[in-house]
Amino acid sequence: MPARTPVGPIALWRSQSGRAAASADRCPHRGMRLSHGFVRGEALSCIYHGWSYARAGNCLRIPAHPGLAPPETIRVPTHEVEECDGVIWVAVGEATAQPPRLQGVVPLRSLTAHAAVAAIEAAAGAKAGVDGFAWQPQSKLQIRLLLVPQGAEETLIHVLLDDDSSLSQRIAASRAVETLRRTAEDLETKATAP
Amino acid sequence: MTHDAMIDEWYPVGLFSQLDTNARKTALMGRPIEVAVEAEGHARVTSGDGRSLPVCVRYGHVWSSLGKPQKDLFAIPEADQPGRTLVDVGVIRVRCSPLRAVENFLDIAHFPFVHTDILGAEPHTEVQDYKVEVRQDADEVWATQVKFYQPQAAKSASGGITTEYMYRVPAPTCCVLYKTCPPRPGEWDVITLFVQPLAEDLCDVWPWMALFDDATPMTDLIHFQQTIFLQDRSILENQIPRLLPLDPGMEIPTRADLTSVAYRRWLKRHNYTYGAQLVAQ
Amino acid sequence: MKLYDYVLSPSCYKVRLMAALTGVKLEIRAVDFHPGAEHRGPELMALNPAGSIPILEDGDLILTESAAMLTYLAAKAGPEWLGSGAPEETARLQQWLSFAHRLTASLGGARLHEMLLRPGDIGTLQAQGIAALRELEAGLVEQGLRGMRFLASDRPTVADIACFPYVALAPDGGVPLDPYPAIRLWSRAIRSLDNFIEMPGIHRLHELKREHVEPGEV
Repeated sequence: MPARTPVGPIALWRSQSGRAAASADRCPHRGMRLSHGFVRGEALSCIYHGWSYARAGNCLRIPAHPGLAPPETIRVPTHEVEECDGVIWVAVGEATAQPPRLQGVVPLRSLTAHAAVAAIEAAAGAKAGVDGFAWQPQSKLQIRLLLVPQGAEETLIHVLLDDDSSLSQRIAASRAVETLRRTAEDLETKATAP
Repeated sequence: MTHDAMIDEWYPVGLFSQLDTNARKTALMGRPIEVAVEAEGHARVTSGDGRSLPVCVRYGHVWSSLGKPQKDLFAIPEADQPGRTLVDVGVIRVRCSPLRAVENFLDIAHFPFVHTDILGAEPHTEVQDYKVEVRQDADEVWATQVKFYQPQAAKSASGGITTEYMYRVPAPTCCVLYKTCPPRPGEWDVITLFVQPLAEDLCDVWPWMALFDDATPMTDLIHFQQTIFLQDRSILENQIPRLLPLDPGMEIPTRADLTSVAYRRWLKRHNYTYGAQLVAQ
Repeated sequence: MKLYDYVLSPSCYKVRLMAALTGVKLEIRAVDFHPGAEHRGPELMALNPAGSIPILEDGDLILTESAAMLTYLAAKAGPEWLGSGAPEETARLQQWLSFAHRLTASLGGARLHEMLLRPGDIGTLQAQGIAALRELEAGLVEQGLRGMRFLASDRPTVADIACFPYVALAPDGGVPLDPYPAIRLWSRAIRSLDNFIEMPGIHRLHELKREHVEPGEV
């Protein structure tokens, strides 16, 4: 699937053996977005011509030339990926530290808001740190939000909640975050209105 | 950057059969234009500032130019051959460079992945060597002896065959494909891609065909070609950068891409750069 | 059964897909919708005065609404596609079956505008499409929490087939699907179904095909 990072769009994929990987979202052959591609075994293939790439970014196969071992120079840039407490973290550049631990919570969903981080913080009445922030929209509902800016105008919101939450609490949390997004987008619209 | 070289080319701007006195409002290379066919049957193309633009009607389409075309529209002799069915496929808009649209049309290696079980299928992915040249007399890019295994090469084909192709680029945004003709061995079906550049990253594509096929209803022929082109559309709208890179370092060609390499060099040599990116960004 | 069909129409594709999934053989009558506008001609208008396609003809029965066609095909050849009959499931199925009209009006309108140059206010169509996709995403998240992969239950129903085509083709109208992980998973689940067929703009799931011999392998 596609994802956006400060160093550009990436293709995030999980190999058949279950390992997450991230590469630049562009096949060096003809510029096609690799996030439109397909995963077979431990390789990500481009939908356009089927060129396939290993987790490390080296090209494994060029279907138009089945007898040819692709030269080492054909590579797609990759990023370091860590999967931790149900959250996938991608390092931009060299990772200097492990991702923060998020114990006792489980991931619920991710959604994109057409609003900057500040508008979401304002809507929730909280300030985000590296491990996001806790938000309690109603009693008995403890939600943790991780905010990732997607350019200046959009924010990706990862929603986590206590791992002993009931089904009805989970559904309530999902709906509460929809409301939070609506509030934040209204704030954003008002703030940017001429 | 100058785009003078492409200003003087002919471009398709409408289907003659679909036009009437109500002007079709469209654009050519970033400028608004209007295309109409007058009551007495003459096509008329006007620019936004009221200027009458050059016009010709050929291959089912009205053609025009913002500049002064130095020569007539390229010839497709097969278009006048008796017995052919001429197919107006209709317009499809694509958010991509007009040059990317042509380059994709010149490519066969994507068939198994994008036109799966129609124009190609795994494991038949190999592209055998073929010949590419720029024909100096006509100044056209040609690829010949292009062969590929196809599960359903045409609407009239039943079962897989190895199809032979010839590609011809007679103008920067036009391509003519000659293809094995299942009902009539020895003749070639003609399938064209005429591209109207609306902007550097937006185009209206007008596929057109001249086929030997009496058996297939016209609508099925139209649907077959629309199917093929719509399978390409989602690729074309997701290539990065949107402009065609003419800097050789930007993308990696292989032997299968020799037609594309020749096409890019030919564009660069003629300064046909509307829709191209000259320097990597 | 005869389907008056346009190969690029998502509504026609719904019917072709449902027929494929339930094993019904359709007689296809291709309609020159674009560029010929044959659906507005006398022959087709006599069948459907609304001037829309698809039209499904089976003896005396003429259907002009795709939801009815899906229901008819399911009732005839695959009753499991109509759900179990449990009240909540039936309600969800009807909810999403009706909701599909909003996808047609918004995402379908945007696609016709961006691809075949039909008139429309593209900004409004796209905004309405995004609103509809967000509702669908939220609905699928909740179904996932209930342990169900599809819109009405844990198996696909006519509601999924009614919503799938316009959603999968949203990018044709300039509305990306990147922000909707639940929709992406649901779309993959539908594309993985036995006897699934594609339409132009919806690519084959190549991951379902096994890898061939690697270079260097014997």
